[in-house]
Amino acid sequence: MSEQIESLPVLPIKNSVLFPGLLMPLTAGRPSSIAAIDAALASEDKELLIITQRDSSVESPAASDLYTIGTKAVVKRMMRRQDGAVNLIVQGVERVVLIKIEQTEPYLMARVRLAPIPEEANTEIEAMRRAILELSARAIQLAQPNAPIEVTQMLAENEEPLQLTYLIGSVLGLPVEKEQGLLEAPSRLDALRLLHSYLLHELQVLELRNQINVQAQGEMERQQREYLLRQQLRAIQEELGETSPEQADAELFRKQMDEAQLPEEARKEAERELSRMEKLPQASPDYHVIRTYLEIILELPWAKSTEDNLDLAHARQVLDEDHFDLKEVKERILEHLGVLKLNPTANAPILCFVGPPGVGKTSLGQSIARSLGRKFERLSLGGMHDEAELRGHRRTYIGAMPGRIIQAMRRAESNNPVLMLDEVDKLGRDFRGDPAAALLEILDPAQNHTFRDNYLDLSFNLSKVFFITTANTIDTVPAPLLDRMEMLRLSGYSAEEKMEIAHRYLIPRQLKESGLTDQQFILTDEALIHVISRYTREAGVRQLERAIGSLTRRVALRFAEGDTTPMIVRVEDLHEMLGPERFSFELTRKQLPPGVATGLAWTETGGDVLYIEATLLPAGRGLTLTGHLGEVMQESAKAAQSFIWAHTEQMGIDPNVVRRSGLHIHVPAGAIPKDGPSAGITMATALASVYTDTPVRSDTAMTGEITLTGLVLPIGGVKEKVLAARRAGINRVILPKENQKDLRELPDNVRAEMEFVFADRVEEVLTAAVPGLVSRLRMPQAA
Amino acid sequence: MPETKPVSLFFISAEAGAAMAWRPAADIYRTPEGWVVKLELAGVRQEDVNVVTSGSELFISGVRRDRFVEEGWSHHSMEITYSHFERVIEMPCDLDRATISIESYDGLLLVRVGASHEEEKR
Repeated sequence: MSEQIESLPVLPIKNSVLFPGLLMPLTAGRPSSIAAIDAALASEDKELLIITQRDSSVESPAASDLYTIGTKAVVKRMMRRQDGAVNLIVQGVERVVLIKIEQTEPYLMARVRLAPIPEEANTEIEAMRRAILELSARAIQLAQPNAPIEVTQMLAENEEPLQLTYLIGSVLGLPVEKEQGLLEAPSRLDALRLLHSYLLHELQVLELRNQINVQAQGEMERQQREYLLRQQLRAIQEELGETSPEQADAELFRKQMDEAQLPEEARKEAERELSRMEKLPQASPDYHVIRTYLEIILELPWAKSTEDNLDLAHARQVLDEDHFDLKEVKERILEHLGVLKLNPTANAPILCFVGPPGVGKTSLGQSIARSLGRKFERLSLGGMHDEAELRGHRRTYIGAMPGRIIQAMRRAESNNPVLMLDEVDKLGRDFRGDPAAALLEILDPAQNHTFRDNYLDLSFNLSKVFFITTANTIDTVPAPLLDRMEMLRLSGYSAEEKMEIAHRYLIPRQLKESGLTDQQFILTDEALIHVISRYTREAGVRQLERAIGSLTRRVALRFAEGDTTPMIVRVEDLHEMLGPERFSFELTRKQLPPGVATGLAWTETGGDVLYIEATLLPAGRGLTLTGHLGEVMQESAKAAQSFIWAHTEQMGIDPNVVRRSGLHIHVPAGAIPKDGPSAGITMATALASVYTDTPVRSDTAMTGEITLTGLVLPIGGVKEKVLAARRAGINRVILPKENQKDLRELPDNVRAEMEFVFADRVEEVLTAAVPGLVSRLRMPQAA
Repeated sequence: MPETKPVSLFFISAEAGAAMAWRPAADIYRTPEGWVVKLELAGVRQEDVNVVTSGSELFISGVRRDRFVEEGWSHHSMEITYSHFERVIEMPCDLDRATISIESYDGLLLVRVGASHEEEKR
């Protein structure tokens, strides 16, 4: 083909390349472009040069901004738009090479040389054509699985390889540089090869994209399926007139909320949480957090209370049925009932039962609840060291629960239960806080009507709760806490009381446990006393109950083995049934050597007898104290020593002995810690005895604090101490005169049996305890 | 005209194939004298039309030129297709010895094919 030179108006285009034979819609807005179009349309052939800009950001391109190979095109359609821009459809006619720009104003005019690609046909071209057809079929399949099959067919029908190349090249969405590269290819084979490489790359990208899609889809599909099924389930349920589980929950809560008589604050909070819950799917973890919270709010007895049984006779009967004696405590409870009868809004008292283990503190709480007709709940504070256990954790924590108090209220299902806080003396404390501090709020009638649990974050009224705390000792209870409670002491029981308790409660209970009747098992009184005194040593009755339990079990075993004769347990049988006696009376000391005096001590488990031994050290000096004595007791020993030394003449003691000898006081058993001032007079007696070499009466025990001037001061725990003396077989006790009033705590028979000496001064103690000293003692005139 | 629909550009260009020319519509009549092919070729001068036969195929090609434009005019819109056209019509007879004549009729182009020889042949 001979070289043809033409001059054409130039329409530069951006981001795209027009191939010969292909149609392209264009919009021209630049004045120079519109001018070029006008010029083309004014010609008879409507031809112009479409050429691609190298840089799409250039607005008025010069020759250097244009590629050198473009396409001669014919304008097929043209239409002016309202805004002055021009829409047109052009069809590529022939590949041209730009020779030079002839004019730039008002539009570009270019001299071009037609550069058609020479026709050629060989097997390589045909092979390329087929390869391209195959690749493009795959690309279409990947890019648009839904594309009609005709597209592929239509491509195959296109016999002219160059046209096919241009057609596929234009629809691949290639970057401008690549499209331009295709246009610039000098021969059919080059164009085909170029397109082949583009297609391969394109196919790889498509395949990769597909792979990613498939993976993502796999993950999505499971969730979507579940969601879809759920939606369908919901639709089916609606159709059937059922509600979805979430809705059912919400409706149930709403119904309960209407019935629950919640206080304003709680109702608002509950409604807010409920509306939040409704918006959540059931699978959400928050859903269950809110659900639990609502359940707790709705289950709490905000306004539910039990009717108090204010029948005093009934209450007295219940208390007497359940517990023997304990007059003071029972009176206190009946008083409170009386008050409630007259003033129903009275605050419940906060009682604190203090006493050794096994005396019935907990069961007393139960019978108080029974006599009042209230619910009974107990929670043990023993070992609790985290404030949050009482007050709960804030709801932001995972697995947060309300505190023990609120949980107890929830169990009680009424807002006025008897709530027993056991072992208040065994509260722990550590870096997490002090539960005693939380108890201060709970047990203060002025504050506990707005008790705020951290979990609930709502105030709950605890003022109707009848709080009872128990403790073995009040020494470890913080003072502010003690101050809030009304102390009731439950001291130990005497042997007679224990017998009574055994007959009334322990034996029937153990018989029932073992499945025996009271005809099948009879425990004689002598045997019972023996069990109490020789097999147990305690203030309460727990060991006793255990001992009775093992007796009844032995009998039950016999019955089970076929021997059905009723069993009468006598003292002689005990050794065989319970083993050797576990305790013998301390009163093996029938005679006391000089320097030994019998003291009485109070312990958490009741009272005990202890001996105080003093001896002179001929070569020694000063005072030696042994036996694990506390500071107060050591001081008390020094006071006793000083008193004796100061009154040597009066007591007829040789001053030389005092001057020359050291002194050792020992209190067995050495391993048990002892403290307190109440052994003062006992030590003074022991010292007087050792210095005068006169023995103390062995049937006499004594307790009392001593002063330097010889006064005897009152002490605590009289009942336990007296009972301990009696258990030990001592029936003469010297007590401070001021403790005389405490004797009314003792059972009548004990009082009748025992001989009491009340002393104001040490001299009186010595007179009563050391008979050999009386002749020597010069009593002060006042006595 | 189908070219006005940009959506189907792909198909049209494929159909156009190697021929970058447009196809005028044609009616073919059977007459006692032979055949008349009527082509929708308004605005095309007879000297711009070229008719060639080969076997039973009739090739009609040419250029439609816009000679209407005068100095100072400009297009507001353009829908008529100018430039090269081309049409190949397969006739039911052998054209090697047929007489071909062209005439204009109300803006249409008539191609008359005299078929006397052909009838003799039959």
